[in-house]
Amino acid sequence: MPKQVTRREFLRLAVAGAASPWLLACASGEKERAVNFFNWSKYIGKDTLPGFTKATGIKVNYEEFADEQEMFAKLRSGARGYDLIIGSDYMIPSLKGPNIIDPFPPGVLKNLANIDAKFLNTPYDPDNAYTVPYLWGTTGIGYNKKHMPKPPTSWWDLWDEKYSGKVSMLDNARDCVSTGLLLKGYPETATDENAFKEVRELLVKQKPLVKQYSSTQYMDSLVAGELFMAMAWSGDVLQAARENPQLDYVIPKEGSYMWVDNLCLVRGSQHREDTLRLVDYLLEGPVGAEIANTVRYATPNAEAKKSLDKSLLKDPRVFPPAEITKRLNFHSLLEPDVQQIWTDTWEDVKAAG
Amino acid sequence: MRTIIAAPEDSALKETSSVERALSWLVRGKDPRASHAMLIPATLWLLCFLLLPVASLLAMSLATRGPYSSVIWTFTWANFARALDHKYLVIVLRTVGYALSTTGLCLILGFPMAYFLSFYAGKRRETLMILLMIPFWTSCLVAIYSWIIILGRAGLLNNTLLWLGVIKTPLLILNTPFSVILGLVYFYLPFMILPLFSSLEKIPRTYIEASYDLGAGTIETFVKVTLPLALPGVFAGCILTFVPCIGDFLTAEFLGGPKTYLIGNLVQNQFLMAQDWPFGAAVTSVLLLSLISGVYLYQRLESQELERA
Amino acid sequence: MTKNKGLASFCCLIYAFLYLPLAVMFVFSFNDARRNVVWKGFTFKWYGSLFHNAELLSALVTTLELAIAASLFASVLGLFASYAMTRHAPFKGRGVYASLMSVPLMMPEVVMGVGLLSFFVRAHIPLNFWTLAGAHAMIALPYTASSIRARLLSLKDSRLEDAAMDLGATEWEAFYKVTLPLAGPAIFSGALLAFTVSFEDFVTSFFIAGIGIVTMPIKIYSMMKFGVTPEINALACCLLLLTVVLLASQKLLVRKDATS
Repeated sequence: MPKQVTRREFLRLAVAGAASPWLLACASGEKERAVNFFNWSKYIGKDTLPGFTKATGIKVNYEEFADEQEMFAKLRSGARGYDLIIGSDYMIPSLKGPNIIDPFPPGVLKNLANIDAKFLNTPYDPDNAYTVPYLWGTTGIGYNKKHMPKPPTSWWDLWDEKYSGKVSMLDNARDCVSTGLLLKGYPETATDENAFKEVRELLVKQKPLVKQYSSTQYMDSLVAGELFMAMAWSGDVLQAARENPQLDYVIPKEGSYMWVDNLCLVRGSQHREDTLRLVDYLLEGPVGAEIANTVRYATPNAEAKKSLDKSLLKDPRVFPPAEITKRLNFHSLLEPDVQQIWTDTWEDVKAAG
Repeated sequence: MRTIIAAPEDSALKETSSVERALSWLVRGKDPRASHAMLIPATLWLLCFLLLPVASLLAMSLATRGPYSSVIWTFTWANFARALDHKYLVIVLRTVGYALSTTGLCLILGFPMAYFLSFYAGKRRETLMILLMIPFWTSCLVAIYSWIIILGRAGLLNNTLLWLGVIKTPLLILNTPFSVILGLVYFYLPFMILPLFSSLEKIPRTYIEASYDLGAGTIETFVKVTLPLALPGVFAGCILTFVPCIGDFLTAEFLGGPKTYLIGNLVQNQFLMAQDWPFGAAVTSVLLLSLISGVYLYQRLESQELERA
Repeated sequence: MTKNKGLASFCCLIYAFLYLPLAVMFVFSFNDARRNVVWKGFTFKWYGSLFHNAELLSALVTTLELAIAASLFASVLGLFASYAMTRHAPFKGRGVYASLMSVPLMMPEVVMGVGLLSFFVRAHIPLNFWTLAGAHAMIALPYTASSIRARLLSLKDSRLEDAAMDLGATEWEAFYKVTLPLAGPAIFSGALLAFTVSFEDFVTSFFIAGIGIVTMPIKIYSMMKFGVTPEINALACCLLLLTVVLLASQKLLVRKDATS
């Protein structure tokens, strides 16, 4: 008999051994203090989250997205358990509409006063209930000076056949369709079919010249010299410029858009208290400065500006001066059905042959 | 094994008899109900993780998209009408074109390879087969990453060609249809070779000797004996290559460009970006139904061919 | 014989094609440059930083746990199913079961991925470790089932169970004490295949991994998507080594099984 006993015993042990880590994890799961934070890729300082965990003992499960639609999709499909997300100004209505985000409880965030008053009580969140500004930036053109001795000045340079196969466009409806409307002389709030037909034609015409539609990989392609020019976000290009000093960033003369990214609380979060502590921590001056210094985006945090790198503070590509700001607008807040037209237009462009 | 020989003790028999009788009934399998009972776990598993999900996709393809990407359960054919609209039909045709070219290229490259492995490799055959399995089991993400290093504008291939003086300016290789098909052929070539090899292995070597003895030449023997007998492998290989090619989205995402948008990318986009699940479900259903009918037709064709052979 | 040589060199070319990316990956894992395309000198530092990367290590643990759970499920399900298919008297509906078992092989993974996602979300089933492990087990089931089926079929003629029952064992005892140990290596080799399938799976995990479940392929995907990290090459070499070890042990098992 001993042989069988060992075999049976062995099986039992194997199963128990395999299952025990999970059982332990399940048992301790309720006691674990953690925040599930879903953020844009390359959008936080190196020491930010480790610093928070060190100070409070709260673990941060950090996940990144490359596209706001992707983030929205993951939230909509539910059941994933994010606690804290980043939403751009124009996304806030879509997040509020289907009750994805919760308002912040008033008076809990001690460091909210650090935020520059300019960024509070904005059109997308009039009572300042749902959002806490995180960073802001602009959309423009990133380019490689080595390959572009004459810097681009206009959006139309991205349509120039000289650069066929050397340009990239951001992979989302919001940036490409808004630029199309701008170039075709329509307001961003346009709803008539003709406007979108023209935008579609414009973007499809550009398609043979585009090497890739990308919202993240273009940084590497710029650094590697694969791309000469890319429709880009300010901080991304400046991050990439650390590796390749030939990279520069410009706001085209036709104008462009600026945006504010906000911290939002996800409804149904299991870790509300810890999440609020994280938000308050991110609002601290030195923490905000560390983030901005790393990611090269502008901070709305007045306290953080005090400990910002001098070069960053003076950089017109990060904090654009008045003569550039007058060319910049915030994205309009669109109704769901108009937003759908935007999505469909972009989908058509991507599908076109 | 000593324990088997020992006759079961009476007390033990009493203790376990009812449970053991039930288990023996299961194992004996004279009763069809026992067979069904043993198959129930796997069937339930497939039901929960495969059949119900696919059924829910089919159901969703007939629903309507609501505001903020919700799904409203009102019946409509509109998603299918849209999926078969000409602008999406282009994507379907492109995908089928890529999948067919990949399958064809894999067959052209794979057949001589399988033929060599089966007929000429001799003792080294087993080693060579294992060598074939290693890339097959490597994560395709990692291989994609390597191909990016090789094919990029400042990549290995361009650098080598520049250094050799073959070209003056770097070629655009990455993000083109060429790089996508290259990637697809790379990933699915083993799927073609393995079934080809096993069907070639099954051909009795005496048939081929007999053909030579009867005066047929090398080519005649190949066309009239080897090839017809290898047909099942050809069919299996083609299906095993074609099916995953149709659903592939990673290759096009990383090695492709704006012009290589495939069904897989469209489906992924509808579910993870555009958030139009009913439409995404309709595209998936079209894909699935055409695959099923394709495979069915293929099998019909195959059995006819085999009968003739 | 000339034809033989021509074919042989053709095969060498194909092997070169298949191994080119692996070779590049191996060579560049020792490249002392953050950008991969230029050779700057020999280094082990990427391997070093691999073992200090907590995220990667936790992804490795998650992937291993998933693969163990999935191969365990798939082996048990595959054993029952293939036993009934090979050892029981022919019964009505066997063909249906047989084709059902092979469906996961014929289904493009993207279809399974979006199907599972929409089903779980609509049915309000939370996306967690167990749903993913279940899905992996489903994908791996055809592999375990066919491995075990082959062995059970070859054992059919040995009549060892009959001998055991002649000596007074019940059917259950014969199964438990004779068939199971004899099929053991095949079960284990099927489980190894299932383990590899789960370990390498990206598409299904990509669609239905819940928050906090970051498997190795998902981690590699985001590393690729969010920028060049030279650690990928080193990581890929380690994973390749693991795959080779797994496959070699599976092959050895099959061979040992065939000779015994």
